[in-house]
Amino acid sequence: MRRREAIRTLTGIFGTTLLVPSWANGWKENHFSKPSLLSEPQKQILTKLVDAILPKTDTPGGNELGVQVFVERMIQDCFDDSVQNRFRNELDKMDAAARDLRGKRFTELNAPERLSIIKYWSSQNDTPEKEFASSVKGLAVQGYTSSEYYLTQVSKYELVPARYHGCVDINS
Amino acid sequence: MNKLDSVHFNINGAAGQTFDAIVIGSGISGGWSAKELCDKGLKTLLLERGRNVEHIKDYPTTNMMPWEFEHREKMPLEITKENPIVSKCYNFKESSAHFFVKDKEHPYVQEKPFDWIRGYQVGGKSLLWARQTQRWSKYDFEGPARDGFAVEWPISYDDLAPWYSHVERFAGIAGNKDGLDVLPDGEFLPPHELNCVERHFSDQVARNYGGKRHVIIGRCAHVTEAKPIHLDQGRAKCQHRVMCERGCPFGGYFSSNASTIPWAMKSGKLTLKPDSVVHSIIYDDKKGKTVGVRVIDAHTLKMTEYFARVIFVNAAAMNTNLILLNSISSRFPNGLGNDSGVLGKYIAFHNYRARISGRYNGYLDKKTDGRRPNGGYIPRFRNVYKQETDFLRGYAAGFSAWRSSGNDSSGWGEDLKKGLHQNKFTDWGVGSHMMGETIPKESNYVRLDPQLKDLHGIPQLSFHVDYDDNDEKMVKDYQEQMTEMFEKAGFTDIRVTDGHGYPGLDIHEMGGVRMGKDPKTSILNGWNQVHAAPNVFVTDGACMTSTSTQNPSLTYMALSARAADYAAKQLKRGEL
Repeated sequence: MRRREAIRTLTGIFGTTLLVPSWANGWKENHFSKPSLLSEPQKQILTKLVDAILPKTDTPGGNELGVQVFVERMIQDCFDDSVQNRFRNELDKMDAAARDLRGKRFTELNAPERLSIIKYWSSQNDTPEKEFASSVKGLAVQGYTSSEYYLTQVSKYELVPARYHGCVDINS
Repeated sequence: MNKLDSVHFNINGAAGQTFDAIVIGSGISGGWSAKELCDKGLKTLLLERGRNVEHIKDYPTTNMMPWEFEHREKMPLEITKENPIVSKCYNFKESSAHFFVKDKEHPYVQEKPFDWIRGYQVGGKSLLWARQTQRWSKYDFEGPARDGFAVEWPISYDDLAPWYSHVERFAGIAGNKDGLDVLPDGEFLPPHELNCVERHFSDQVARNYGGKRHVIIGRCAHVTEAKPIHLDQGRAKCQHRVMCERGCPFGGYFSSNASTIPWAMKSGKLTLKPDSVVHSIIYDDKKGKTVGVRVIDAHTLKMTEYFARVIFVNAAAMNTNLILLNSISSRFPNGLGNDSGVLGKYIAFHNYRARISGRYNGYLDKKTDGRRPNGGYIPRFRNVYKQETDFLRGYAAGFSAWRSSGNDSSGWGEDLKKGLHQNKFTDWGVGSHMMGETIPKESNYVRLDPQLKDLHGIPQLSFHVDYDDNDEKMVKDYQEQMTEMFEKAGFTDIRVTDGHGYPGLDIHEMGGVRMGKDPKTSILNGWNQVHAAPNVFVTDGACMTSTSTQNPSLTYMALSARAADYAAKQLKRGEL
């Protein structure tokens, strides 16, 4: 029995034996690291916020595609300390805003209530709240539209197009 | 502690360390040198400073889906902070970062800012290149003599034309026979297609400029139809994945890894040694000739000498300069072959600073389908037949159009979800970038830093390379001319930019070991042979007398094949 790292053999569709290197063994989402930027309450606020921005409808919602994990990972790994601190602060402020406006924790609000806060923040000019709303929405949309679900089911991503046609009918 | 202290000298070697030929560097030109020398029956040692990368087996990301990248190709901040130089390269991303040299791996000195982008592994940057392969024309070779800069090229287009054909047939070059004297046709496989808006622009430009400016499909190193010569290499037709920088499991584009190295291996004549950093070339003062190379093992730091009758230096342009400058003997106290004092000088590059973008509100009933590993190309139209502007030479340009399609992310909640599940087409986007010829000057040079050493105890290379007034004028002219061409074609929302990128980021650095007719003003003769050390050949970018505007790799391939053929013949006649 060969070791996992060893090259494994597969029988290809042409009936010939193909050599496939170990990295072709398949990918699992749990190969990714779990981000640890946010506290547990902050993670819950972000999860509920992503759920409000991208709710489950007749198509998958952001939460079931793990968009909140993607957003946290991107802020943790690709942005500097000041952005990370502001991101955490704004999540806390979102909770405070929920208490001020509705007398409840953000996570206890219903979806329209949650959405009303982030939309209000988004409508401001040049405030930290506006910046937060833009970045969380931008990353949420990126996470959603680069997910396996979206690329395979909606945008029909092809790894191997094997063609280029420079001028075809738009409806083809 | 200086790591040099731990270098051990092994100078007793002979058997097992003696070859007919040694090639330093396994990138695009070194792969060709090795292949041609092996094809001629020479026992060849191919040295590569980086790790081994075997075709397919060592392309770990090649079949990964977009969602399989943790940060969707964006590099984590920790890495970009540690690597400010390589992070500027458009191709440095999660799927390809393992093929780039990280900043700390090989430090260098910037007397003036220079972004030195490198790939240290078997195959070098041939895994990462942009694969554009335009021939030079006679106007390019005649440039320095006509316009009075650098020195006259010792070869003409006619000398190189058969070798262009030779390498094109083997590498597989897709292109259209456009019949332009400014960009000669080659041995082409079927071309890629220009799309509707690119064809529109091509027609408009031809009409508006009296047939004197051209927009054509780029010529590129992709197998669009696999001929027996490609199948013999184990390569298949390009599958239009357009993720070439990961390494291609089909061998659809040309790389040393997919093509020249496995071919040379099959000959039984090749010995490939990765992890072998060349310290210098050995000049035997008693024999009055070069006899071999000193190699430092990248891991143990042990030094070993290898011997051969002919040595090809293909270490990539700037590292070739470094090796020659570091090859000191009583005969050559200032670097191998450097009687003229020009070694390391007259460095030039391509000016990629300016870009232009716009939109086109036509062909709204059309789109493109699939992906294309290529783009449109505008051959040089400035100063081709005679001097006509207030700057010397000119620029070529890339040009592409694309039909933007996307979802609508303007809403929130259920509206946003709906928007994301629609596919809306907007109008067409168009864009172009310049590729300007820069003038080689004595004041643009590299030299060895007198103090600083790298991790192998080899002196660090110090860069003194900059733009000049000619480049500034060319940026301005490109912006003006392209704006006019865009406007006349009916494009709107036209925006020009000057990215002010440092030299080097073009990854087309050239010169320092230039070819020339006169040993007093050049290092190499018309066969890429060191005037004063005739069993050393330099056929990578270091040999370039001038830069022209074309992407240079195809010319390095042709020069390598031509020089290897010459060297093999000279060896057989006992003249080397």
